[in-house]
Formats: sequence, C-alpha cells, structure tokens
Amino acid sequence: MAQRADAGSRLLRLLAVLTWLARQRRASVSELSERFGLEPDELIADLELAACCGLPPYTPDQLMEIIVDDREVIADLGAELARPRRLTAAEGFALAASARAIAAVPGADPDGALRRAVAKLEAALGGRGSLRIDLQEPAQLAAIRDATESGRQIELRYYSASSDRESTRIVDPVSVRAIEGRWYLDGYCHNAQGMRRFRIDRVLSSRLTGEPSSHRDEVDADPDSQPSDAFVPGPEAKVAQVVVDGNATWIIDALPTSSREAMPDGRTRVGIPVASTVWFGRLLLRLGPHAEVLSPPELAEAGRQAARQVLARYRETAEDRTTSSAT
Amino acid sequence: MVDRLERLTDLVLVLLRDNRPKSLREIASEVPGYPAQEGEARRQAFERDKRTLRDGGIEVSAVPIDGPEQVGYVIRPDNYYLPDLDLTPDEQSALNLAVAGVHLGDPSGRDALWRLGLAASAGARPVAELPALPALAVLHGALRAGATVSFDYRAERRRVDPALLRFHGGWWYLVGHDLDRVAPRTFRVDRMEGDVTAGAPGSAKLPDGFDPDAALPDVPWRIGEGGEVTVELHVDATLASLVLDEVGYAALAHRHDDGSVVVRLEVTNVAALRSWLFELGDHAVVIGPDEVRAEMVRWLEAVAAPPARR
Repeated sequence: MAQRADAGSRLLRLLAVLTWLARQRRASVSELSERFGLEPDELIADLELAACCGLPPYTPDQLMEIIVDDREVIADLGAELARPRRLTAAEGFALAASARAIAAVPGADPDGALRRAVAKLEAALGGRGSLRIDLQEPAQLAAIRDATESGRQIELRYYSASSDRESTRIVDPVSVRAIEGRWYLDGYCHNAQGMRRFRIDRVLSSRLTGEPSSHRDEVDADPDSQPSDAFVPGPEAKVAQVVVDGNATWIIDALPTSSREAMPDGRTRVGIPVASTVWFGRLLLRLGPHAEVLSPPELAEAGRQAARQVLARYRETAEDRTTSSAT
Repeated sequence: MVDRLERLTDLVLVLLRDNRPKSLREIASEVPGYPAQEGEARRQAFERDKRTLRDGGIEVSAVPIDGPEQVGYVIRPDNYYLPDLDLTPDEQSALNLAVAGVHLGDPSGRDALWRLGLAASAGARPVAELPALPALAVLHGALRAGATVSFDYRAERRRVDPALLRFHGGWWYLVGHDLDRVAPRTFRVDRMEGDVTAGAPGSAKLPDGFDPDAALPDVPWRIGEGGEVTVELHVDATLASLVLDEVGYAALAHRHDDGSVVVRLEVTNVAALRSWLFELGDHAVVIGPDEVRAEMVRWLEAVAAPPARR
C-alpha cells in the first residue's frame, strides 16, 4: 500500500474523485483507483468517509449520496461538486509547462489541438505568452524519432565527447526523450551489446539498416541511468578537487559537483566527479587561470595536455594563414 | 472521534454552500469534529484547517459580520471554482497526452487534470523531462497575475516586473524589467536564493514595447552588452556538422574540400564564446580577428604553463 497521505492531500484527492463522480454518477472501483492512482482499499475508505459528510443536520437526506461496494461506486452529488476547482499555482504552472513543452516537440501537435488548448487555458487563467519552452532541434532528431516509432533499426555515426572519437554503431531504438532541454536516444547498442543512451545532438548521421528493431519492447534502461556520454559520474569516476575563483563559478554552477565549500581566501573548493579525462581537460580549458587542481595529480595534468593540443592547432592554422597570404 | 479528513470535507461544503460568511461558533456547530468548548483549542483547530485548505489552493475569506464574533468565514465560489475552459474533446486529449508526456518531478500536472475532470493517461512514457524548482510556480503565478516579484540574487535583493518565464538550453530563466536598475534583466531561476515573493496582482508595469527576446539571446556569446565583434572560427570535419547545427547555417562562411568549415559569429561576450569554444577541444580555433585569436592563445598558454611553485 502506498504511503498514507496527510489529511490535506487526501482532501484534495477526495474532492477530485467527488468531482469526477458527480459528473459520471457511476464508476468501477478499479477504474477510479487507476485514474486517481489510489489503492482500492484507500479509495473505498475515503469514499465511505465521504458518505458521512454533507450539511447539517447530517440527516440522510443531507449527506452525500454515495454507495460503495467492492466493485462499483454510485453517486448522486449535485451540481456544486461537479464543477472543477481552481488550479493551484503549482497545478497551473505544471499544466501550462507540460503543454508548452510538448508543443515545442517538433511534429507533436500536428492538428494544433494542443495549441488551441493552451490558448484557452491562458485566456481563462491569465498569463498569455508568459511561458516559453525551447527544446533543441538537432538535425537527426526527426529521423531517429521516426525510426523509434516505427521500430526500425538504425546505424548511427556518433561523436563521443568523452573519448573524443567518432564511431559507427548499430542501434535498436527504444525511446527518444528530451531531458533538461537536450534530446537523448535510449536503445540497444549492438556494438556494446547493451542498453546505451546517446545524445542526439552528437549524432553526425543516421540511416536505416533495413532490419526491424529487435528490442522495441525493451523496458527502459534504468530510469535513473545517466547519459553514457555526458560528464555524469559512473561508478569508476574519480573526484577531482578543484579551487575556483569568483570569475569561474558560473561554469561550475552548471556541473554536478560532489562537494562545495567556501575557502578563507574567498575562492570555492569543489569536488568534481570525472568519468572522462578528455572531458575534464576541456573543462580546465574553460576555467583557465581561474581554477587550480589540487588533486589527483594525473588529472591536474589533463588541463595542460588539452591546452598544448589546442595550441598546436593554433600554430598549424597560423602556418596556413601565412601560406595562403603568401600565395 | 471524527476523522480530520471528514471534518475538512464538511468544512469545505459548509463554507461553500449558500455563499454567506459564517462565524466560528456557527461553523463549529455545523461541522462535527471541533472542540465542543469555545476557546483557544477550537480556534487553533480551525486555523490549522484553514491553513491546510489554503495550502491546497482553497482560500477561506475572512469578512466582517454583525454579531459578537465580528468575523465570518466563507469560501467564495469565484475563488473556488475554475472558470469554464470549454475544451473540445481533441483539446482535452491533447492536454492529457501533454501532461503524461512531461516529467516535472511532482504530480501537479496530474492533479491539474483531475481538477479539469480529465483522465490522466497512466503508464505513458515521458517525452520530456524538465527541471522542477519550487520558485517556478510562484513566478508563473506572478506572471499570470501581473505582480511584481522580489527575490535575492547574488546576495542582492531584486525587484522585477516579470515578462517571461523561459526554459532555454537546460535552464529556467526569468526575463523582466528590473525596478532598481531600470533595465531589462534575465535571471537564472535556480540561482534565486531563498523564497521568491509576489506582490499584489496588477502591481507590475512593464515599460511600453518591452521585448523579452532581446533580453535573453539564443546563444551565450550574445549575452552581455560588450562591443560587437565578428569572430571567425575554423571547425574541423569531425565537428563541422554538429557546430553548424548549433549555430545555424547562416553562420557558414566557407566550406573546405576536407569537410572543415569557417563559421562567422557576431559576438558581444568573448568570455562566453571562449567557454563554448573550448568545449570543442582542438576541433575548433579562432582564425580572426587577430586580437581575439591572440587572447585565446594567451589563455591557452597560461593553462599549458607548468605549475608555479607554491
């Protein structure tokens, strides 16, 4: 049984159930418990209690008319309860944000029904045009979504920032999702022989292999599983201890950090989980002179190495420029 | 002993029915479950119920009445009922799918559907996950009500007339008119410190022609009011298509035979450009203008230098 909710949330839930019942007049216990996410025994208990509520003097004709048995609920509740309640700020936001987010998914609102619903919501609740959600639209998104929806296997050319390598993979796509603004593909990777998560904005190209996807109905990769390719700590991640000054905290703010403490000199000491040395080297480039790696020593070297590599490219392009200006 | 849920349910029905303020004595006589004796315990029980209702979005109004108690309580139908949205069946199902498709970290969206008398679609796989922050509902409520908001940001109190709540690049932003700086400003919602408070409905007055898009550019190197400089980048073949996808093909200045490209960006914030550029590692370099290129090289040389003895 689910954790017992406090009286306030039970009340809101009960009012929602009653609003629904006031309109339907009759519903099965299983339908109601599924719709409202309640265990049948909780639902029956709350409805039996509601059957004792009403108006003074609480004679039978003044009580709510609710008949509950094991399978079915029959109710005659009157017009007051049939009208829906106002939305709380959190509900209004959740509804508007959900609708706006889905409307931002390319191709998700083909006949405009969602946009019309949003317009009506905003007209009734206020706040027209006050909420906007931008989701990325990477070039390969449409092709990958199509393949996922039609259950077809794809071949991806994929750039992994953590290894700084391009690879070609055969993937049975399972789901496509935008997580915090970025699109990811979860799928069974035949090269890795397991479920993997790919950032769609790192897919260089994709094509159908002509084979059906054999992992279409695979349950999600662990819902808490993290992008295999982001800077998300895996079990083997080392934690680098880095001290940054105030000019670099805006970069650090965007990272998952394992610890953070203010230093007496005004700088901040942070623990940064590092799964990829390449990624960490590039982070140190971004932080530049505003950061100092305290430990471990091998990660302290990552920044210098990354800087030398990029400097080498600057020297090459300098030669190119001299050559081209000479010709 | 009357269950608290039963008392709350009766209280809502009694305060809502016949739209007339009732004194606490009257309420206690009509709603079973309050302490029989008049006094502090009864008052506290009632105040606690009022708070519970308010937390759930049910506003109990206190109004002056005749009689010894002088204050009466009522739930105004306008404060309780949702205005009729008049949604067609296809609009209802589109909303339903939207709520099922977005994961916001709490069940508010599902609760809202219940409110509208719509079925929540169970078991749908979310299409999008957005970060949930408690301040968002307050800010959205303030936008809906046209209220000035105030909050602490970088250890300073800010007063802002809100114009737009925008999710962009993985972050929630509030765009608005900063009342103390008398200028458009953009704030990261996750960096607001402590509680966000909203003023009275209608208190916000945006300047005429306020353009929230101008206050929050699409790309980081346009954020900030530095002088504009046109920066040319060379991006190698490996990342050329990914970078063009991100900055837009309008920025493409030249495509080399080896698949590498030259991209031209209008930049007002070189620090933001640098941070974005170095995420690309050695796949991209600045080729002009010379002063920006020299600045990148100086920065890299500082990082490449062996550690100073400390």
